[in-house]
Amino acid sequence: MTETSGSADGRSGDSGQYDRRGAEAALARAFVRLADTLASDFDIVDFLQGLSADSVEILGAEAAGVMLADQRGGLRLVASSDERMRLLELFELQGAQGPCLDAFSTGQPVQASAADSRTRWPDFARHASDSGFQMMCAVPLRVRTDVIGAMNLFRGTDTPFTADEMDIAQAMAEMAAIGLIQERALRERTLLTEQLQNALTSRVIIEQAKGMLAEYLKLTVDDAFQLLRDYARNRNRKLSEVARDVADRKIPSTALTTRPGREP
Amino acid sequence: MRDDGRRARIMAAVTGKDALAGAGELIARLCRLAVDEMALSGCALVLMSGRESAGMLAGAGRHASTVTGLQMELGEGPCLQAHASGIPVFLPDLAAGGANRWPAFAAAALAAGVHAEFSLPLTVGPDGIGTLDLCRDRPGMLSQEQLADALVTADIARDAVLYQQYAPGDTSVAELLGTGGADRIVVHQATGMIAAQLDQTTSNALARLRAAAFASGRPMHDIARDVVERRVRFDD
Repeated sequence: MTETSGSADGRSGDSGQYDRRGAEAALARAFVRLADTLASDFDIVDFLQGLSADSVEILGAEAAGVMLADQRGGLRLVASSDERMRLLELFELQGAQGPCLDAFSTGQPVQASAADSRTRWPDFARHASDSGFQMMCAVPLRVRTDVIGAMNLFRGTDTPFTADEMDIAQAMAEMAAIGLIQERALRERTLLTEQLQNALTSRVIIEQAKGMLAEYLKLTVDDAFQLLRDYARNRNRKLSEVARDVADRKIPSTALTTRPGREP
Repeated sequence: MRDDGRRARIMAAVTGKDALAGAGELIARLCRLAVDEMALSGCALVLMSGRESAGMLAGAGRHASTVTGLQMELGEGPCLQAHASGIPVFLPDLAAGGANRWPAFAAAALAAGVHAEFSLPLTVGPDGIGTLDLCRDRPGMLSQEQLADALVTADIARDAVLYQQYAPGDTSVAELLGTGGADRIVVHQATGMIAAQLDQTTSNALARLRAAAFASGRPMHDIARDVVERRVRFDD
C-alpha cells in the first residue's frame, strides 16, 4: 500500500498530489460495495459497472472492463467504465485473443506494454493502440480454483501497474468473484424454492378443483379428475393451470363436460 | 470452522454405513438423531405451501405428527409463525403461558402431552420452505449445544429438500409428501366441495371446515371425509 502511494506521483491525471488517505478510503468503500451482492435488488451489470469504475479511480487507469464466462466457457463483456472500452472488449471476444482471455484461461494476472501486446496479441494490440491505450493488465475473477471471468485495466500512458497495484486489482476482482458466486448459489436455491412451492401448491389446488367439480357436476372425485385431465390434454394445457382456473372460477365447471350425454 | 465440524459429525451419524434412499430417508434419520440426542419426544420436518402447512415430510418420536397436525387443524401455531417470520420460535414451557399468542394450540398441545416446542424456519434467502419442529414431553429449554446442533440439522434438512427438488430421481418432493397424506388430500377435496356449496373462495371454505372441526371437537379430516362422501353439506 505504501509503495502504491509513493509510486503514484508520476502517474498521469490532473488531480496533482496523490492522496494516499483518500485512495485508501476509496478502496475501503469499494470493498464494502463488493460485499453487497445479497441485497434483494442486486443487479449484476450495475455491480460490475461499479467494480470497473472503482478500479479506474483507485488504480489510476483510464478504462476498465469486466468479462464473465458464459455457459459454453466463452468470455462475454458484462460491464465497462465507458463505451469506447465496450467496443474494444467486444472485439477482444470476437478475436479470441487478449489479456483478459489469458488471465481467464491461466487464472493468473497478466500485464503488457504496447510492445508486449503486439507480439502476444497482434490484432488486439492494433485496436488497443488505435484507442490510445499503451499499458494494459488483466486479473482473473477467481475463487480458489474456480475462475468465472476477468477484469481488464488500461492506461493511456506507458507507466506500468506496480506490484501493489496488481495486488489491489486482484483483491478487488476476487472480492467481486466471491460475491458473484454467492449470489449465483442463492439465485439457484431461490429458483428451486419457487419450483418446490409451485409443486406443493399445485397438489393442493388440483385436489380442491377435483372437489369443486365433483360438487358442481355431481360426480365422484375420481370422475372429476378424469374431466380435468381430459380438458387439459385436449387443450394442451398444464393440469395445474387448468385446476387453478377451475378453483378461481375462470373456467366454469360446465365447460369441462364436453362429452354429449353427460349430465351438466 | 466449528460449525463445519458439527455439520460433518451430524452428516456422518445419519449417513452411516448403508446407502440412503433419498431426502425423505435422510430427513427421517436426522429427526431420529435429534430425538435421541436432544431428549425430544418428537421431531419433524414440515413443508409449507404459501401460508398453510403442506404436510410433514418426515419425522421421528411419538409426538412427530402431533404439532404439525394441530397447526393444520387450528390454522395457528409456532411453526406457521416461524415460517412466516423467518425467525425461530422457542416455547420451553407451554404451560407457563409462553404460547399465549396461540391459546387453542397451547391447550391442545398440552392435552396431547407436548410441554415444550421449538420451531426453526428453513430459509432460503428471503424465502422459506418450511420448518423443523422439535418438541418435548416435559418443559425445558434446549442447551446451547443442542440448539447449535438443531440449527445445523435444519440447514442439512433444507439442503436435502432442495437437492431432492433439483435431482428428484424416482420421487419428487411433492410425491414424498403425498405418501401417507390421505388425510390431507381428503381435506383439500372437501375444501373444493365446500367452496362450491357456499360459492366462496377455497381459503374461506378451508376456514369454514376448520371452524366446524374446532366447534365439534372432531378431527378436520373426519368431517372432510363426511363431506366428500356426501354425508355432510355446508349449505344446509
